[in-house]
Amino acid sequence: MRRTHGTSGFGITRREWLAASAAAATLTGCAGPAVPPEVPAQVSIVRATEYDQGLYDTVRRTIDEHRLDVRGRRVVVKPNLVEFEPHNVINTHPLLVHAVCEAFRSMGAASVQIAEGPGHRRNTLDLAEAAGYFKTVPRFEEVFVDLNLDDVSRVRPSRRFSRLEELYLPNTVMGADLLVSVPKMKTHHWVGATLSMKNLFGVVPGGVYGWPKNVLHWSGIDECIADLDALCPRRFAIVDGIVGMEGNGPILGAPKAAGVLVAGRDPVAVDATCCRVMRIDPARIKYLRLACGERGSRLPEGEVHQIGEQIRSVATPFALAPEFQSIRLT
Amino acid sequence: MSIETLLSGQNRDGGWPYVRGGSWTEPTVYAVLALTASGETQAAARGVRWIHTTARRDGGWAPYAGVEQSTWVTALVTLLPVGLVGKSSHAGGIEWLLGTTGKESTGLYRLREWMLGNARPAELEFPGWPWFPGTAAWVGPTSLAILALEKENRRKPSRRIAERIEEGRRFLLRRPCRQGGWNHGSVQDLAYDSRPYPETTGMALAALRGVHSPVVDRALEVAGGFLGECHSADALNWLRLGLIAHGNLAAGYCPPEVPCRTLSESSLDLLVAEEQKGRSLFWG
Repeated sequence: MRRTHGTSGFGITRREWLAASAAAATLTGCAGPAVPPEVPAQVSIVRATEYDQGLYDTVRRTIDEHRLDVRGRRVVVKPNLVEFEPHNVINTHPLLVHAVCEAFRSMGAASVQIAEGPGHRRNTLDLAEAAGYFKTVPRFEEVFVDLNLDDVSRVRPSRRFSRLEELYLPNTVMGADLLVSVPKMKTHHWVGATLSMKNLFGVVPGGVYGWPKNVLHWSGIDECIADLDALCPRRFAIVDGIVGMEGNGPILGAPKAAGVLVAGRDPVAVDATCCRVMRIDPARIKYLRLACGERGSRLPEGEVHQIGEQIRSVATPFALAPEFQSIRLT
Repeated sequence: MSIETLLSGQNRDGGWPYVRGGSWTEPTVYAVLALTASGETQAAARGVRWIHTTARRDGGWAPYAGVEQSTWVTALVTLLPVGLVGKSSHAGGIEWLLGTTGKESTGLYRLREWMLGNARPAELEFPGWPWFPGTAAWVGPTSLAILALEKENRRKPSRRIAERIEEGRRFLLRRPCRQGGWNHGSVQDLAYDSRPYPETTGMALAALRGVHSPVVDRALEVAGGFLGECHSADALNWLRLGLIAHGNLAAGYCPPEVPCRTLSESSLDLLVAEEQKGRSLFWG
């Protein structure tokens, strides 16, 4: 049984798009088509305190504010699935992911898939079932792609930050017209905070690199996050800060309710805003500094066009491990 | 899960996908083993022909056509009967395994750490195997490499292979979680104890077949607990194999009805059922 490749929304078939991208990458050393810079970076902060039916309307209104045109396009929604613990806050809540999918469907997307490739556990669908995705998302198995086991293509970053000269990445991700990163708002024991950009580690295929995707660790975690940011340019982010994780994240930390969703097209600006909500200094997060300026992305607060709630009104200090006290926003 | 499922899932090129799409080495190896056990030799032979397209000049095997790197799947290919894969290809795979360690065990890395004055943690004393060359060793690929080398050592005993198996087993015995059993290979997480996983606990137990140790005893208890509460076909397959390796799976044990999500899981389910009947494709 083979996957049916639809049209990309640009008037060519998916297979043609992949072939053309591969050829272009070979010729120019650049993966994927260029996208125009977005000026200024717009980030919305929306209050959301519960995982309930009201989330569907909240998410739709939030995405509307960013005037994304996804009509006829292929959208891939990338949650953060890590561990088999439904009562913990490790994974992105399935209701939020479903609300995001429904929003893009109602906006006319040609297809909306959910895709993830966990870093430690091989049995992704079992993990998704334990995390509540089968109960929440109708026909989940039909819309889900395990990125660890998806077909892959070789790509070379247009702009290299790590020592990696090339990566094999899933065709589902590289062929998406829009990749929507929907992570949990969490502290991280190696890089300080894990948000929409760190969430891209899940697109690196375990089928090639293993569980964990240790090649990213040896090549520099922060640098690889910046590489992946450059390799996946057509993105949108909605961060699940309704209940996040503080302390020894991203797995063994404690729940922390921030009561917000943070969304936008510029992943650096979105993640920097999340950091400010968590009372973390984004300028001390190395991968944000590395990726700042790429495709017009913005890190300084003064260069981000903030809509919705103001940061000071939703600021929720996340507890930091002793090793990370220096990144506290003062 | 039936052989028909595997036959219908075979790609035109002879290989198998994990779920759908292109052929991958891992599901193809398990499918070939399962089909061979069932006497479906034609489909198995087509699978082997596809596997040969992923062979690399260094003796190892790539996980997917187009990936230009030998990886952990080399251990799986060397689990195939020599008569199927061919003597020289099989020998190349064994040599690749014998020459591969986690990066933390290489001389260059040790020298660097020594020059930096870094103490060498006890769990790094023995070399395991990485998923991908140039990275650290982990429980999963180390267990698979031991299974492959153990099978080879039974077929053609060799001191060199036996020594490498011993090193790999010591690697596993240094890496259990505090509560027993294994996860992917990370024992602590910022001074907090990490939890074991059922699938890697089963894999490591299978690799430690015949080893007597308090670590193994504790892991067998953990595996027995996992077996009663687990709802993952992948985890149940490896738990069953790990318990069989130590004679700890109850006679006539029947796993709960859980869906096989990938063709690898379907094949492994069939292979483990054969092991339960006493027909071993992993150790035979």
